[in-house]
Amino acid sequence: MVQEQQLETVDINVNMGPQHPSTHGVFRMVLTIDGERVVDVEPHIGYMHRGAEKLSENMDYRAAIGFQDRTDYLAQFLNEQAYCMAVEKLLELAVPERTEYIRVILCELNRITSHFMFLGAFGIDLGYFGTSFTYGFRERERIQDIFEEVTGERMMYGYFRPGGLAWDVPDNFVQMIRDVLPHARQGLNDLDVLMTQNEIVAARTKGIGAMSAEDSVNWGLSGPMLRAAGIDWDLRKDKPYSIYDRFDYDIPVGSHGDVFDRYLVRLEEARQSIRIVEQALDQLPDGPIMPEKMPRRLRGPEAEVYAAVEGPRGEYGIYIVSKGGDKPYRLKIRPPSFCNLSALRDMTVGNYVADAVAILGSIDIVLCDVDR
Amino acid sequence: MPDEESQLDEASAEEQKGAETPAEKPSEKAPAEASADPPTADQSEEEEADAKPRPPAGGIADLLAEALPDVKLEAYQGMTDVIVEVERDDIMKIMPVVKDDPRLDLKFLRCLFGVDHEDEGLEVVYQLLSLEKGHDVVIKTRLPKDDAHVASVTSVWKAANWHERETRDMFGIMFDDHPHLVPLLLPEDMTDHFPLRKDNPLAEIEEWQGDELPEEGFGGAAKRR
Repeated sequence: MVQEQQLETVDINVNMGPQHPSTHGVFRMVLTIDGERVVDVEPHIGYMHRGAEKLSENMDYRAAIGFQDRTDYLAQFLNEQAYCMAVEKLLELAVPERTEYIRVILCELNRITSHFMFLGAFGIDLGYFGTSFTYGFRERERIQDIFEEVTGERMMYGYFRPGGLAWDVPDNFVQMIRDVLPHARQGLNDLDVLMTQNEIVAARTKGIGAMSAEDSVNWGLSGPMLRAAGIDWDLRKDKPYSIYDRFDYDIPVGSHGDVFDRYLVRLEEARQSIRIVEQALDQLPDGPIMPEKMPRRLRGPEAEVYAAVEGPRGEYGIYIVSKGGDKPYRLKIRPPSFCNLSALRDMTVGNYVADAVAILGSIDIVLCDVDR
Repeated sequence: MPDEESQLDEASAEEQKGAETPAEKPSEKAPAEASADPPTADQSEEEEADAKPRPPAGGIADLLAEALPDVKLEAYQGMTDVIVEVERDDIMKIMPVVKDDPRLDLKFLRCLFGVDHEDEGLEVVYQLLSLEKGHDVVIKTRLPKDDAHVASVTSVWKAANWHERETRDMFGIMFDDHPHLVPLLLPEDMTDHFPLRKDNPLAEIEEWQGDELPEEGFGGAAKRR
């Protein structure tokens, strides 16, 4: 009689990152796997921590704008907008009409480039390799050229100032954007045709990494992650800032909260941004770009302000505690990627290892934003 | 410089505004008193040090007072938000109620962070938001520096998990009953040094060029070597 051998199954720890192509930056997660199933995830962040908050406390209000470009480096204009709004609220500066329009146009174009980046990289996460990335980056590059023309920089723009802008836009600004928008729309359609109806994409994304509406709120998810779960919350509509109440656009909302819905929400959101840019270009007024009376040194009163924008990844907020003087006493950045990433464990456990990559990709993290 | 002067004017106007509306507990305030006459001169002088504008009547501060009748709340209108200061020991009495009470419905924790007020202790700030009702509030609590403990709110909002870990990293505030309070952004062994506290100033920028620079400049230094 053969005695059945007592075989032991052992959970294996698999280390992913910090240098790994699918972690979208310097991010490490330790997966505990049982066969092909993930039973535990331990994310490790902080590799990119530069102390932006501490450094901002030691610089005056104008100098600290540069850190905003370097947190979420795919949504630089939106971060600058949040920071400038916070300083403007603190100092009670009125922003000229033309500046508001230029800011909205650049921010919405920035949202489109960020979503192109997501769509391209997302295809790679799912195994498309080159195609989606090429489609996404071809169109992203055209918009990037406009940013370069306006600000003189490709990545770290530093173009917004408390109260206004660094300088006015070039004369061909409106025409440049009008020329580029059809390409952007075509690029989104290309990606739509490539991915939405694709059976492999559907198999890899539908029902994967789903999070209920209740959990999404409890985890503090924001942006497309929250809307994919079926919650209609967008700061541009629900807490209108700047001049977003003057435009006609829709907020796409998903229903399942899974990877596929997050993809769809972002795709549609980019289309809506094109609508906003078109309307803003039609309405763009002439006029000054800085308030008439601008103090040479920005000194805040003793107060606390919070300003937030709806970034491509969610609510990007700046909380300033001022005790007078020309520096913030404490500056806190609410990073959307940080909050969204904190829910990674709940989304990943129970899925296959290969899906962990798709889920991480669907969060659309920017590690510089997570670590600050 | 005319622009600096205007800035000063603004500041003094703000002070004036603050002095006219002294702080008051929301529970003591009836809506009819909202437009009360400014206090007399000596009164405002007396309260000048901590004069804070009252929150709008019927707003979130009143709802909080209604939902939490036996908790000490000190509400005032900040520049952008209604700010409510509470006692540290009341945190776990307050937080589950503000989340689940249908009148408040503050189910979304926007952010949680610390502030170092030097001699006045540490502060933990909770930014809360209701997606249903669209209102928000900032709740704050003070902790002494030598006993920086506060109850964790992870059981109320899961979102607090990483925020509390980050706050421990940066300020050394211990969140009791946190499930996994280990360093998040900082290295694992960095548990006794809190970079965002004010007693950790930035290092001076080294000016290596100073007096070690040879008279004849860089070229000369290279030649000597």
